[in-house]
Amino acid sequence: MHPVQKHLFDTNFRDLSGTKLEGTIALSDELINLGILDFLQQLQKTDTDAPEPQSSAPATSSSMPKPEDLLKMLTIEEVKYRTEAGKTLLDIKAGIV
Amino acid sequence: MPTIPAPLQALLDDPATQLEGTDVELRLPIGRTLLNEVLDARPADTPVEELLLDPEANNLVNLHLGVKAPVLGSVRRKITFRPKGSVSFPNQPWLHFDITDGFKMFDKPIIKLMQGQIAERLPKGIELTSDHLRLHVPALLTSAGYQALVPLIKNLRLTSEANVLIIQLHLKA
Repeated sequence: MHPVQKHLFDTNFRDLSGTKLEGTIALSDELINLGILDFLQQLQKTDTDAPEPQSSAPATSSSMPKPEDLLKMLTIEEVKYRTEAGKTLLDIKAGIV
Repeated sequence: MPTIPAPLQALLDDPATQLEGTDVELRLPIGRTLLNEVLDARPADTPVEELLLDPEANNLVNLHLGVKAPVLGSVRRKITFRPKGSVSFPNQPWLHFDITDGFKMFDKPIIKLMQGQIAERLPKGIELTSDHLRLHVPALLTSAGYQALVPLIKNLRLTSEANVLIIQLHLKA
């Protein structure tokens, strides 16, 4: 794992506290469909290629933070999903606590 | 080299089309510890022995620099930068930092060494003199393979507060 990524995971993204994102993110239909295909391929890979789970091993300090911990750090003031011809739009106002 | 996921590759190939309609502003404060993790990840075989960023209040950023310079040997300097202005495409491509304090009268060998390292190891678009550092953002993005992202940058500004460097970015496609 890259040391910067490791640091972000180990510190629960604390060093990005105060981040703010505001505006509209538009994604083309092509991008959404490529994303769905990639997601499905990843699921198939997980089924066939995943190593044996090591249930007795303790989690390393650099494992991906739990989704619930990440969600606790987010402040979401506005999320509005809409579509237009050929694209998906997300109006968003959010930040990291 | 890891394979880039197909959606990300499509986005990087033609961001203007894939993100058309996007208009977003990002304020990204990067803490001192994370900044220095990024600097620590630099290649080991350089004459730079120490490289540490220390953002201050009042829009000043200290760079603690330790280098092995010809004639002078190992030297350490604290160089203070003040980020100035912002980048906008296509009129203002340079990210400019005034050097307000740091290099001394006899520091020409250090500056020459740094200029040599920049010319040899880093992509074109980085300019260092005794009184400023300038980064040509389109040239640096192009050399990293992200040329198509350049027209999306409506505004890019760097400022600093105590222990935090703040990137403000306005993207529009």
